[in-house]
Amino acid sequence: MSGNGKKGKILVVGGGISGISAAIEASEAGCEVVLVEKNPYLGGRVVQMNQYFPKLCPPSCGLEINLRRIRTSPRIRCLTTAQVEKITGGPGSYKVTVRQEPRYVNDLCTACGDCVDACPEERPDEFNLDMGKTKAIYKTVETAYPVWYAIDGDACKGAECGKCVEACQYSAIDLDMKPGTHELDVQAVIFATGWSPYDATKLENIGFGKYKNVITNLMMERLASDSGPTAGKIKRPSDDKDIESIAFVQCAGSRDENHMEQCSGVCCMGSLKQTRYVREQYPDAQIYIFYIDVRTPGRLEDFYAEVQKDEKVTLIKGKVAKITEDSSGDVEVEAEDTLSGNRVKQKVNLAVLATGLVPADLSSIEIDGGLQKDEYGFLTGEQPGLFSAGCARRPVEVAACVRDAAAAALKAIQCSVE
Amino acid sequence: MPEPTLLKPDQKFINRIIKSGGGNIKKCFQCATCSVVCELSPDRRPFPRKEMIWAQWGLQDRLLADPDVWLCHQCNDCSTHCPRGAKPSEVLAALRRESIIHHSVPRFLGKWMNDPRYVPLMLLIPTVLLGLALLLKDPIESVLGFSKQTGERIVFSYSSMFPHWLLISFFLFFSLLVLLAIIAGVMRFWRAMKAADARSGMTGPAKGLRASIIAALKNIITHDKFATCSTERPRFLSHFLVFYGFIALFVVSIWAMTAKYNPLIYSSFAYPFSFWSPWRILANVAGIAVVIGCLLMIIERLNENKKAGAGSYFDWAFIGILLCVVLSGFVTEILHYGRVEPHRHIVYFVHLVFVFALLIYLPYSKFAHMIYRTTAMVYAEYSGRDAEAPTAAAGKKQEGEKEEKNKAEESKE
Repeated sequence: MSGNGKKGKILVVGGGISGISAAIEASEAGCEVVLVEKNPYLGGRVVQMNQYFPKLCPPSCGLEINLRRIRTSPRIRCLTTAQVEKITGGPGSYKVTVRQEPRYVNDLCTACGDCVDACPEERPDEFNLDMGKTKAIYKTVETAYPVWYAIDGDACKGAECGKCVEACQYSAIDLDMKPGTHELDVQAVIFATGWSPYDATKLENIGFGKYKNVITNLMMERLASDSGPTAGKIKRPSDDKDIESIAFVQCAGSRDENHMEQCSGVCCMGSLKQTRYVREQYPDAQIYIFYIDVRTPGRLEDFYAEVQKDEKVTLIKGKVAKITEDSSGDVEVEAEDTLSGNRVKQKVNLAVLATGLVPADLSSIEIDGGLQKDEYGFLTGEQPGLFSAGCARRPVEVAACVRDAAAAALKAIQCSVE
Repeated sequence: MPEPTLLKPDQKFINRIIKSGGGNIKKCFQCATCSVVCELSPDRRPFPRKEMIWAQWGLQDRLLADPDVWLCHQCNDCSTHCPRGAKPSEVLAALRRESIIHHSVPRFLGKWMNDPRYVPLMLLIPTVLLGLALLLKDPIESVLGFSKQTGERIVFSYSSMFPHWLLISFFLFFSLLVLLAIIAGVMRFWRAMKAADARSGMTGPAKGLRASIIAALKNIITHDKFATCSTERPRFLSHFLVFYGFIALFVVSIWAMTAKYNPLIYSSFAYPFSFWSPWRILANVAGIAVVIGCLLMIIERLNENKKAGAGSYFDWAFIGILLCVVLSGFVTEILHYGRVEPHRHIVYFVHLVFVFALLIYLPYSKFAHMIYRTTAMVYAEYSGRDAEAPTAAAGKKQEGEKEEKNKAEESKE
């Protein structure tokens, strides 16, 4: 490419693993990067995971290095609790409006935790998928970046209470903080807006929301995680009983025109991975996996083969279409074992729904000409100047997100160099 | 280990299913949601998942010998929950149609019934036959020395046009032919089901034939199976109305036709019926029930959620002829009280044509569902089809049916 070689400025929307990776790649190539994240912390969905597949290492390993690279980078500016409102212009010249919600805690916070002890109000623990509660002022996540605590504006009583302000020795709490807007000039935008789990309450037949012992795969990650509501001990929610039997229900809403038509690509490996969590804590637990097809492409097939060797793992080819609960809290999952041709009714302590990946809803962002999406709502990534990476583009695992982010960063750099 | 099975897909059969309502059959990816949500499906070898793959592969022999196709009452629970829009309920309806055509004797009549191009011919046949009977009326009466029916109590009696002896002998003759066709069809179907079960290694009946028939009839009389459907609750009511309305009309008709020759009749029940005769009241109420039932069916089909489908020509033709029979009957009755001459005799003739058509096409039209569904229900009882299956997950620990497994592998290719 010809030009004066002056590197431009790139906006990365979303601070999950894809956004973080794209921001780092672009900044280390010399670009200025603004990273906008709607949560008060970086890391996105990855932080909620207990372990990555197939290596079963905790996400913090990779994440810590990347967060350090962001922290020490002179070219990355992070805006948390912030969302993009408007993008105008075209490739090479965009004007972006970002709205930042008040965090009520400033950068003087040392994460000492005195405020949490003082706070009288509670809020549902969103990060742990509402399994438990936090105070209205809370530590966002373990190994959080930024490390500052945050206040949930909906739960906090504000200045009339003010107990946290009294408790804070560092004047880090400002209950009068107002929302602000940032106007940015950038040459390219990378959407790394990620995904949210499919709303399992819509699956009427299988009782999520009705039966406590029917949980989602993401809840399972939290239950298995040391930083989760049970400090890493997998117990069933209704009575904290140990797990003797567990059923994994694949394609809970995925590949279903009544719910979400696409295959989410990662839930098979997700459940296979979670059988390892269960096996580690309960060597004798019976594990059942109900599936339509087990999709473990490439080398991931090896992981599947390992799980198959587990004598206490039973794979049943047939989709679960009905779950009922009995008085003991056990749930009965029902499917047709299509290989034997008979109906299976399996009673288990806990059923885990492999809910799929729904692309983030970007309809609130005002963009000249709009964003190109495919039939499932994923970004096509083919718009010049407006690139996309990771699960915003297609449902993929972390490793693919990282690769995708590098590709998107390169495209954005090409677009931003004058 | 069982011998490997060589499958012989029948592409023509697949195309027929696709054309007659099973258009989405290839969308099925065998998740078996349908088999689980179906309230009527038994635990052992549930339907309709297996029928879907058989139909995808064109395994005509298995499908036509499959009682399960007939155990379905088309609640549409399966189609509503199907993640692929493959419409199993419509596929099973198409298979039932194929089953009627395949087992009926002679088979070409079944094919005609499924093709709207044959409507004129199908109406012409009963018209001509009835016309012939009318032409022969006078010669036969004079030969046999029957008295002319001019001196009757009611001057405008319909029996002056179509005397009851003629009605009885004419309809009796064709009823016997229809009965023979039914018996032949039932035998074909029964033998096919038995042979299929023998091939898959099932042994001996679970129940006596008589006990099986009684159990099946009990089911039919109470409409038990219909009542278990959840998506299509209204179908219970509409079918119930038509079913009992039709039976009542049938009984009244037989009674009316034979009244003259019936030694049991006393003055109060004497034929012709007065307006307030219990027989006529029953007939009118039953007629109204059938009309309401048919209208409900039509409304249901038109309002059917997109996932279920609105049925095919075969279904509509049957609802149509039922309505024609009952409505032409009502018009005949009204014209009778209005003394509208000579139209009432023409309408009466049309009414007889419809009734006659309904009768002679019974084994070939959707009306035959009565025969085959009953046969299948009896067979299901007889073979112990509904017996409970082991409920624990078998999966890889137990060898599934080898045959099914082989097929599953073939499907991957």
